[in-house]
Amino acid sequence: MTMTFQDSQNAFASALLHPDLPLPHGITTARGTADPLRFAIYRNNVHVSLTMALAQRFPVTQRLVGSDFFTGMARVYAADHKPASPLMMHYGDDFPAFIAAFPPAASVAYLADVAQIEVAWSEAYHAADGPPLEIAQLAAIAPERIADLVVIPHLSTRLVRSDFPVGSIWSAHQDETVMPVGEWRAEAVLIVRPEMQVEIRILPEGDGEFLACLLGGATLGDAAEAAFAVAADFDFGSALTGLTMLGAFSAFEPSEGEVS
Amino acid sequence: MNRSTLTLALAGSLASAIASTAFAAPLAPEKMVGNEKCYGIALKGQNDCAAGPGTTCAGTSTMDYQGNAWKAVPAGTCVSMNVNGHKGMLAPVKS
Repeated sequence: MTMTFQDSQNAFASALLHPDLPLPHGITTARGTADPLRFAIYRNNVHVSLTMALAQRFPVTQRLVGSDFFTGMARVYAADHKPASPLMMHYGDDFPAFIAAFPPAASVAYLADVAQIEVAWSEAYHAADGPPLEIAQLAAIAPERIADLVVIPHLSTRLVRSDFPVGSIWSAHQDETVMPVGEWRAEAVLIVRPEMQVEIRILPEGDGEFLACLLGGATLGDAAEAAFAVAADFDFGSALTGLTMLGAFSAFEPSEGEVS
Repeated sequence: MNRSTLTLALAGSLASAIASTAFAAPLAPEKMVGNEKCYGIALKGQNDCAAGPGTTCAGTSTMDYQGNAWKAVPAGTCVSMNVNGHKGMLAPVKS
């Protein structure tokens, strides 16, 4: 029986990923017999590569727990999560969710949310380019229409909200020396790349709620009311102009319910 | 707040925010860069230019594939970071 090329490739890949499977058919050495130890090198290379890809995408997460812990955690993840795409920049999109449910990491409660910032950073970095909405366009909106508009976010816009100061923690780990983290409180972190550089900002409390509602499809009016409810000092005008100037939006449009 | 009161309040708030930033004319991109620093708390390291994983040739075998039983504990900066007493803990983890 002759295997097709594709069968043979699939069998090889499957044996690479599952150490309990026998060696793929047709593997030989110069001495004529297959050597499981030699094939184990290939299996190991796959795992080491995936672990290193995670370490590159999650440098702050790695610093927080140390490389031994991180490597161990990454190996457990890699055992059950193989890349869904040959584009390795996407590998680990669900690593934060894995961390959140990984019992040995439970003592570092903010770890998953810091990892989520790192996912957002690379997503923003690789997002398609697009012109952000400009302030002049904001100024041109008829006042009576404002409350019923919805936003179209910029393609790179990401928001990470956490019960922990994850923006401050992330920032504290950007230099060789870890900086102290100030007040221990919840943070809403905007990650966006309007031009060439990824910008990361900690938003005021009400503004985090405001942006979360907008990204969920709420109208400006509904989002503003939700923001007022969590922060009495919410300033609609400065939130909207501030987020616009950061490049968080690409356009406004009437909500579906509005007759225009 | 009823809808028309809300609309008025939002329109007024937006108008004064735009007026206070004095951006009547379309903004030059370089001007935007300087002004946006006023909003939110800018963080260090946001100009990192790492291109993400998959850009190096990873995977030098150390032949430890079978030896990966879970045993590590968090031992990075979460243990020493000064965050008002909220440190990572070194509780041993049973595998």
